[in-house]
Amino acid sequence: MYRFFFGLSRLMAVAGGIVLSALIVLVCVSVAGRALNGLLHADMVEAVVPGLAAWLIDLGIGPVNGDFELVEAGIAFAIFCFLPYCQITSGHAVVSVFTDWMPPRAQQVLRMAIEILFAVVLIVIAVQLKQGMDGRIRSGQTSFLLQFPIWWAYALSLAGAALAAAAAVYMAAIRTAEALTGRVLIADDMGAEH
Amino acid sequence: MSDFEIGLLSFPALLALIFLRVPIGLAMFTTGFAGLWLITGSSFMAMARLKTETFTTFSSHSLSIVPMFLLMGYFATLGGMSQALFRAAEAWIGHRRGGIAMAAVGACAGFGAICGSSLATAATMGRVALPELRKYGYAGGFSTATLAAGGTLGILIPPSIVLVIYAILTEQNIAKLFLAAVVPGLLAAAGYVAVISVYVRLNPEAAGVRARVPYGERLGALFRVWPVLLVFVAVVGGIYAGFFTPTEGAAVGALGTGLIAWWNGGLTRGTLAAGFLSTGRATAMIFFIVLGAGFYNGFLALTQVPQELSSFVVEQGLSPWLVLAVILALYLVFGCVMDSLSMILLTIPIFFPVVSGLDFGMTPEQVAIWFGILVLIVVEVGLITPPVGMNLFIINAMDRGTPITVTYRAVMWFVASDIVRVVVLAAFPAITLFLIG
Repeated sequence: MYRFFFGLSRLMAVAGGIVLSALIVLVCVSVAGRALNGLLHADMVEAVVPGLAAWLIDLGIGPVNGDFELVEAGIAFAIFCFLPYCQITSGHAVVSVFTDWMPPRAQQVLRMAIEILFAVVLIVIAVQLKQGMDGRIRSGQTSFLLQFPIWWAYALSLAGAALAAAAAVYMAAIRTAEALTGRVLIADDMGAEH
Repeated sequence: MSDFEIGLLSFPALLALIFLRVPIGLAMFTTGFAGLWLITGSSFMAMARLKTETFTTFSSHSLSIVPMFLLMGYFATLGGMSQALFRAAEAWIGHRRGGIAMAAVGACAGFGAICGSSLATAATMGRVALPELRKYGYAGGFSTATLAAGGTLGILIPPSIVLVIYAILTEQNIAKLFLAAVVPGLLAAAGYVAVISVYVRLNPEAAGVRARVPYGERLGALFRVWPVLLVFVAVVGGIYAGFFTPTEGAAVGALGTGLIAWWNGGLTRGTLAAGFLSTGRATAMIFFIVLGAGFYNGFLALTQVPQELSSFVVEQGLSPWLVLAVILALYLVFGCVMDSLSMILLTIPIFFPVVSGLDFGMTPEQVAIWFGILVLIVVEVGLITPPVGMNLFIINAMDRGTPITVTYRAVMWFVASDIVRVVVLAAFPAITLFLIG
């Protein structure tokens, strides 16, 4: 069970990383295209090699059309993809100095309560994101330049949000079992990498 | 209870949750959600906000700079640049008294110029420099403290993720903030070098000596750091010159360091996947805090607490400098238990209106930038103050022979130099502001 959730979350995080890298390349291509385009429009280049300059501009050398909205849609997907992995590896920032002195059982009960709260919150977030997506489907809203329906971006993000909620429910179940039995099933710094 | 009272009571409630080990983003989210529910009388408004707010927060174009800078820092580590920087600094000053420790600080400063994260800087420089320091007889606590302090240069020297978040929260120009951070960052490195110099004179047994390196070798070592210079100039220079936006600069930096890592053979399928995972984990953590902070601050703004607090402080007729001193001191206290980004997201929406309302004899933009740099420094001190300085933990874990208490004692020297620097920069705003005009 743990290996299933961990593996799936890991896979999703790597997918998010690939999308992030693709966005980085996209932005760089756009920057390079804009620079080249500016160069081709420069007086000197237009005077010396007018044919070549016009030909390259016709080829579409210039900033990538709609790069801004692609980054927005893509980065949202990537971050939602990262969320389950953060959840399953307990990667969220906490202040633990004031609870470290508590007896282990009290700490386990506290962890159970926190993870249950987290699961509830992530379920609410996923459900409301679905509502938001339905709203975008009804309104037919599209992006400004590329004219793709906004709900596509919501739908992609929903996959990450749903897995994050599932991972949170799983972690809540684990912490509950730990609190009831007093055993440690998943160490706190599992996969930790600071 | 009035909305204002609910707003005021939300502070202790939020702090109680955070101190009970509730993840900071979750605590802010829950408090904000509950607060909205209380003041509007139903869950409708909070739920309605959630339909779009999670997506719009995560799809923010200006915030997309955060994962890009994180990935850039990871690639910079893989590219062997920390090694090259340390070798170069060591070749030039390693033979001096305390020279290897100074070289480590210098290399941290260099690495900070291509990495926006202190933890990454501390981790990678620790791996490179700690074995060398110990080999030449540098004392355990002195070595770990030096590297933990040096690591904070990762965020003090631009690019810096904390400054990006500050710029977005206060609607300031990222390029100007980066430029303003340069001189204070260099002063930080100089201050650490001075601390090392004093420390090894007082404790001669804490540092060993090493032979001089011939000038030919020194130049060779220096030549190998050119990729660092190239990336720094391209990213920070390009952003400042207006050649591209900060997000584009971060993308160029990430691609550039990625290519260097690939060229040097550091980038394999395994390290790339590990990089995605560590970047992803940190990104998710940061964005969840940003989401929670957005919810909490949205609620707080409705209760009028930040505005009321700001005018209350102004009406008291207190000296602006006293107010500033109290705020900075509060950051130092909080920094002992909390991480820098959480502190910024939690406090800037409250403190920034207060500081903006005070008269320091400067333009609003100057105050915003100057205050941003001061806050940056005091939250960074939190990374090396006991008991919960993340940098101390990271470095100390690499040296099993040194108890953390020994590191605590040695690091107080560096903390002292940080505090001196904050006082100087607060007293002379021109040091921070002269570059941006």
